[in-house]
Amino acid sequence: MFQIKNLTKIYDDGTVALRDVSFEVADGEFLVIIGLSGSGKSTLLRCINRLIDPTGGQIIWDGVDISAAEPAQLRQIRRQIGMIFQHFNLVKRSNVLTNVLSGRLGYVNPWSSLLHRFPAEDREMAMAALKRVGIADQAHKRVDELSGGQQQRVGIARALMQQPRMILADEPVASLDPVLAHSILEHLERLNQEEKITVLCSLHYLDLVQRYATRVIGLRDGQIVYRGSREEIRAMTDREFKDIYGEEAVRVSVVPQGREE
Amino acid sequence: MATRTTKRELQPSLVSPPVAGIASLFIPGLGQALARQVQRGLTLFGSLLTLVGLFAWQVSLLATREQGIDAKFVKALDRRPAFVIPILALIVILWLWIAWDAYRQAQPGQRGGLSVFALVLALFFILGWKISEINLYKLATELSDAKGPLSRVLWPWEAAVTRDVETTVAGADILSPCDDLPPPSPPVETPGEPYVVADPTCGDLSQQVEEGGVLKTVPGTLLTVVGRGFEPNTETQIWWSDPIGNKFQMRQEGRYLAIMTDDEGAFQIEIHMPYRLIPPSSEGRQVHRVEARQVSSVGDLKFSDALKHNVEKMVETIVLGMMATLFGIIFSVPVSFLAARNLMSGSPLTMALYYITRTLLNIVRSIEPLIWAILAGVIVGLGPFAGVIALTVHSIAALGKLYSESIESIDPGPIEAIQATGATRLQTIMYAVVPQMIPPFVSFSIYRWDINVRMSTVIGLVGGGGIGFLLTQYIRLLDYRSAGIAVWFIAITVATLDYVSAEIRQRFV
Repeated sequence: MFQIKNLTKIYDDGTVALRDVSFEVADGEFLVIIGLSGSGKSTLLRCINRLIDPTGGQIIWDGVDISAAEPAQLRQIRRQIGMIFQHFNLVKRSNVLTNVLSGRLGYVNPWSSLLHRFPAEDREMAMAALKRVGIADQAHKRVDELSGGQQQRVGIARALMQQPRMILADEPVASLDPVLAHSILEHLERLNQEEKITVLCSLHYLDLVQRYATRVIGLRDGQIVYRGSREEIRAMTDREFKDIYGEEAVRVSVVPQGREE
Repeated sequence: MATRTTKRELQPSLVSPPVAGIASLFIPGLGQALARQVQRGLTLFGSLLTLVGLFAWQVSLLATREQGIDAKFVKALDRRPAFVIPILALIVILWLWIAWDAYRQAQPGQRGGLSVFALVLALFFILGWKISEINLYKLATELSDAKGPLSRVLWPWEAAVTRDVETTVAGADILSPCDDLPPPSPPVETPGEPYVVADPTCGDLSQQVEEGGVLKTVPGTLLTVVGRGFEPNTETQIWWSDPIGNKFQMRQEGRYLAIMTDDEGAFQIEIHMPYRLIPPSSEGRQVHRVEARQVSSVGDLKFSDALKHNVEKMVETIVLGMMATLFGIIFSVPVSFLAARNLMSGSPLTMALYYITRTLLNIVRSIEPLIWAILAGVIVGLGPFAGVIALTVHSIAALGKLYSESIESIDPGPIEAIQATGATRLQTIMYAVVPQMIPPFVSFSIYRWDINVRMSTVIGLVGGGGIGFLLTQYIRLLDYRSAGIAVWFIAITVATLDYVSAEIRQRFV
């Protein structure tokens, strides 16, 4: 059980990014957060693993208050939460394997890891993770030689290395082609269904939201303006969509593809 | 342009065209200012003032001894009419032109012409030509005189090799002046050995005598010098040696005296005794000596001292540049962290530190390494160490700036991602920051190494060690061949390094 209570974030320049946000996520859910750019989606996701420190409120995960965790404890929590980013956030000049292995940093000996030394089982695990996302043959290439879709799969493999119980995905498909978007989200869906990993994902396209979400919250100006179940989101009308996204929003369709592989 | 036009239409001239013209006649530029062309007026006023100032300075240089403006001007006019008259005429024309320009600017709807500025530029150019002493005629006529040294610099390799030389000498004593005692007896001839005899064996040296206010040369006694037993058909130099040990090759009409021996190894030559080099106060019998010398090369070709010194100093130069680069890198890394805005923006204190570091780096960088070398030479004396210090100081400032800029431009994404995996701060730096830093770091370091070696070739000019030090010495000794070797070495090293550093940088980035 994951709970967010009265979460507020005010940046130093006075911008209110989150205003009294509260919601709960049951284990194994695929929660999608929707909202315009600047509505607070990224801030919300980054508050969960404290990449951004919230100004007020609580984040409680299985009884542990993440928002009050000490640095050492916070690292323990972080390593159980995988994170996937819109721009992949890979070290582009390093090779794929090194990037994937860096997902293991929270587990390995901090000193030997500084010399890029990882246990053999971690290396095997990394190859297995790459196989799982279908790019095992690219393991020794530099990341900047890979396509966008392949880079995001490296991002997923890196998150997998953490053996996460929860994955935060910050617009994971926003910089990819619609076709690739499905491929990436299907990987996340499989993790969600097969390993019961809770997924918190921010998305833009309504089609994708309707296809993958088990629950949806909508943010506008840092406040929750919409909560819906899987059924409710599938029945969502353009009118409701515009309520969340504003009058100027136009529904953009993403043609669903057949499953890959 | 359109907005300017409307502006002019909205704000017509404050005065009528004739008034503007007359105003500019009294104070150049005032008329333009009154016509609401303040910038134009100020520019013209400033230009004219500067030109008049430069002209006055040049005139005063032509007449340094005269007092008063009038006297100076008259003197300058007398010395260089071809310079003074045209420039003065042009300045007067410019003045009138400015007045006419003011008249035109004040007319409604008139646009600012640029012809007046063309005249201003032309005047600056003419005065600049004079001040910087440009003399194309000299360049053309004196180039031929420099052919010798230049060709030696361009192709110096004759000086790269040498042979041992062997000198064969024989001489005969000459008494000066003749006295009552018997003159020195001629040397005894040993068959097969070089032998020289002079006749007579005493005489007077050449001298200059003042006669009715005119210096007149009185040549010394004519000696017949006969030599035997030398190498046949070989150049033989005639040297003179005086009682206090001065030895010099004798000259005749400005040329060094040398004669070829005949088939038997004998020669005969007539010479006048040279001028005296010993002080007039010296007394007693003075026995001079006339010598015949044959210089012959023996042994194999070997590398000359000049080449060896150049190689030594070239190595010193490269090492100097490398050491300075190494120290520069070591010190500039911590400095670059202090000068990176994104790392220092945490608190007002760190921000203050950031500004102080940046300012210091800028100041140090703006002072040329040559000046640092002079300062370092004051502390540690001349030599390569001074050069190392100078280049290190400059490298720290230059690299500190470059590194800090590359720190500022790293992608924060990977940092965020690595932090999210539960990594420690040190791990985050190793996995997210360092990989991004390495390419620019390597690139800038090699670039700096390139610059430092290049600089180290000239830092010796001010005593900072390395090949530049040798180069200045050779040039001062007029040893253009050896200097040429140094120039070639510098050119080869710099070109090679240029190529190598470009290659390495291309691979890394």
